[in-house]
Amino acid sequence: NRKGVALLAVVATLKLATMAAAGGKPAVLLLRPVDAPFAAALRDRFRVLDLYAPGQALPALAFVAAAAAVPEPPRATVIWGGVRVDASFLDAAPSLRCVVSTAAGLDHIDLAECARRGVAVANSGEVYSTDVADYAVGLLLDVLRRVSASERYVRRGSWAAQGDYPLGSKLGGKRVGIIGLGNIGSRIAKRLEAFGCIIHYNSRKPKDSVSYKYFPNVHELAAESDVLVVACALNKATRHIVNKDVLEALGKDGVVVNIGRGANIDEAELVIALREGKIAGAGLDVFEHEPKVPAELFSMENVVLSRHVAVLTEESRSDLRAHTIGNLEAFFSGQPLLTPVHADSLAQ
Amino acid sequence: MESLGVLLLHPMNAYLEQELDSRFRLFRFWDSPPDGRAEFLRANSSAIRAVVGNAGYNADAALIDALPSLEIVASFSVGIDRVDLPKCRERGIRVTNTPDVLTDDVADLAVGLAIAALRKIPQADRYVRAGLWKAKGDYTLTTRFSGKRVAILGLGRIGLAIAKRAEAFGCSISYHSRSEKPFPNYKFFTNVVDLAANCDVLIVACSLNAETHHMVNRKVMDALGPDGVLINIGRGALVDEPELVSALLEKRLGAAGLDVFEHEPFAPEQLFSLDNVVLVPHVGSDTEETCKAMADLVLKNLEAHALNKPLLTPFSGKRVGIIGLGRIGLAIATRVEAFDCPVNYYQRTKKDCPSYTYYPSVVELAANSDILVVACPLNEQTRHIVNREVIEALVPKGLLINIGRGPHVDEPELVSALVEGRLGGAGLDVFEDEPNVPEALFALDNVVLVPHVGSGTHETRQAMADLVLGNLEAHVLKKPLLTPVV
Repeated sequence: NRKGVALLAVVATLKLATMAAAGGKPAVLLLRPVDAPFAAALRDRFRVLDLYAPGQALPALAFVAAAAAVPEPPRATVIWGGVRVDASFLDAAPSLRCVVSTAAGLDHIDLAECARRGVAVANSGEVYSTDVADYAVGLLLDVLRRVSASERYVRRGSWAAQGDYPLGSKLGGKRVGIIGLGNIGSRIAKRLEAFGCIIHYNSRKPKDSVSYKYFPNVHELAAESDVLVVACALNKATRHIVNKDVLEALGKDGVVVNIGRGANIDEAELVIALREGKIAGAGLDVFEHEPKVPAELFSMENVVLSRHVAVLTEESRSDLRAHTIGNLEAFFSGQPLLTPVHADSLAQ
Repeated sequence: MESLGVLLLHPMNAYLEQELDSRFRLFRFWDSPPDGRAEFLRANSSAIRAVVGNAGYNADAALIDALPSLEIVASFSVGIDRVDLPKCRERGIRVTNTPDVLTDDVADLAVGLAIAALRKIPQADRYVRAGLWKAKGDYTLTTRFSGKRVAILGLGRIGLAIAKRAEAFGCSISYHSRSEKPFPNYKFFTNVVDLAANCDVLIVACSLNAETHHMVNRKVMDALGPDGVLINIGRGALVDEPELVSALLEKRLGAAGLDVFEHEPFAPEQLFSLDNVVLVPHVGSDTEETCKAMADLVLKNLEAHALNKPLLTPFSGKRVGIIGLGRIGLAIATRVEAFDCPVNYYQRTKKDCPSYTYYPSVVELAANSDILVVACPLNEQTRHIVNREVIEALVPKGLLINIGRGPHVDEPELVSALVEGRLGGAGLDVFEDEPNVPEALFALDNVVLVPHVGSGTHETRQAMADLVLGNLEAHVLKKPLLTPVV
């Protein structure tokens, strides 16, 4: 009821004001849940206005507005992918001069709007890159060598009852087409080279520092690759960058691995291509409408399904903690951010 | 030519079976009922001259005894722990396997299993397929593979291929092997418990024999510990399986990725319910590409045997490493090939000899040979080419044969290695300070010393003398020399 909500709002505001009056440490608006070590590390250095504090019941935008209303309001905020930083968000907290995102991607931030208002944006840099690259290699090996599928076979007793499992496909010598040769894509390339793969890639521009073969568009990349790895950011240019055409160009022996965003691939077309044998298999950590996964995939032996966990290791957690605090400390001490993002780095 | 009778022990590969049938006279062991096997063998024993087995089914003592005409066992595998080697040696039966062609696939799987186990990929797949993924933030944290300390048990072809891959993930590499190998970046441990205690991921990649049976025992697994991961792509019996099961159930061992088991096709059922174990059904070399390459090797070895040509991948003979594959080196190679010795070699540039294995350094050549033969010319670069490092790399009990020049070998080092028992033996035709021979060698019974007699036959000395005379005459008559040294 409205009276109750208003009361809660007042209480929240007072609480925040009290915290603000404590003085000394700069205020940080925390808009994502964090584990205990992260929370402690933040509290050591900053006055934390925590959306997820126990007992805090205001919805996000109301909390942001309440935080903006305290004396010495927060000039920096820590967010994740679930927080849309757009005009209305920035309107609600005009005191914010810095947004530190812990997400891997940037599709939730209106970079142009931030730039217009002089709000600096920092991203998670290379904190996740290693684990995502490892996971991509793991997914690819799983698809080609049927690790998860043959595992199911063993666990249901079929090895004893039915004999040898069907053959997989050799990784060595395969042409791997990487879409996006950034921090993640380049690590994937380095790892797969050690397995004897030939690296091809597509990127906004060719990279002089690598000797891999460059393709100006994903269709041509797919036509000359045996594996396609999606390792690019999600934005207007890359939505459904892997579409029906690209899947056809990849061909019936081709494999797709997605550790980018579900929407980088036209999921409906992917399912059709798999169902009709137009491609040989897929390893997917992300989907267009998580946590919904097309049920048709559940019965396919040539697909490996994962639940958006490529970044989730203990090590990347602690790396993220150190990195986020590093960015915040840089901002508050007037130094350049560790990993600033500019509006023109929209595409990969 | 009478067609070679080949007994195929198991329907291991359709292409192999088809080709055996078309090129040879094929007997399928499973055509006979299980209780009629002895009769089947008796009825065909005079015709069966070859057996094709694999990792699981191979020529054991009973089978060899039942086949009096058996001449060759061509295994569709690289591991031949199920071939009764002493019995084959006794009967003069040749053995071939399929090395190299499967190295990449097995190494790929080893790393794939490590990532799968650490990052719990099959578990995630099971979770999603069961319809359990209901909320976006639903996950468990796993641990990073990159940068882990990787230890390899057995640094042979497969172990080295695993090391190379793991290095690309920034992993540090340590290993245990029968002898230390010439890779300064990889840390050598003299025992498996210390190896396990100092790593995060232990990968078992050695061959199975009497010494390595149950090499990964309770002590080793305890040393690996509750955060440690065990990966086995070698043979099930390298690991004490009951101990492995209890270590995993009691959480004394962190996780495991297993391609092989003690009693295939049975994997321990107690492991099926665990989420920290990845179990695959012996698929290490199971790709279309590799199985075809393995089959082709089996077929080529059988054809070579039938045509009395050198085998391509003999297992039976001692590995001979030749320093210098010139005229003399090649002549040595063709002779030892006839004894089924695999031939390795080193020289400045690789030669186009696909059946001989090239090594880019003498130390690596020594590390991979049982007998090292010096057959290169003597010059500034080759003086003391066999030095302390090379002698130490020659596997324990290795032999050195020198028919080149004395100064090719660091003689004092050689003498101390022989006197101290660090080297298995030597056959020496040449010495650094002829006609003086180190007296310390006289007391040893594993050394053969001859007084520079390599070319010392009447026929050859006559031919040499004729060449000398012919060269002098040509010079005097202003004709082209017969054997100028450029």
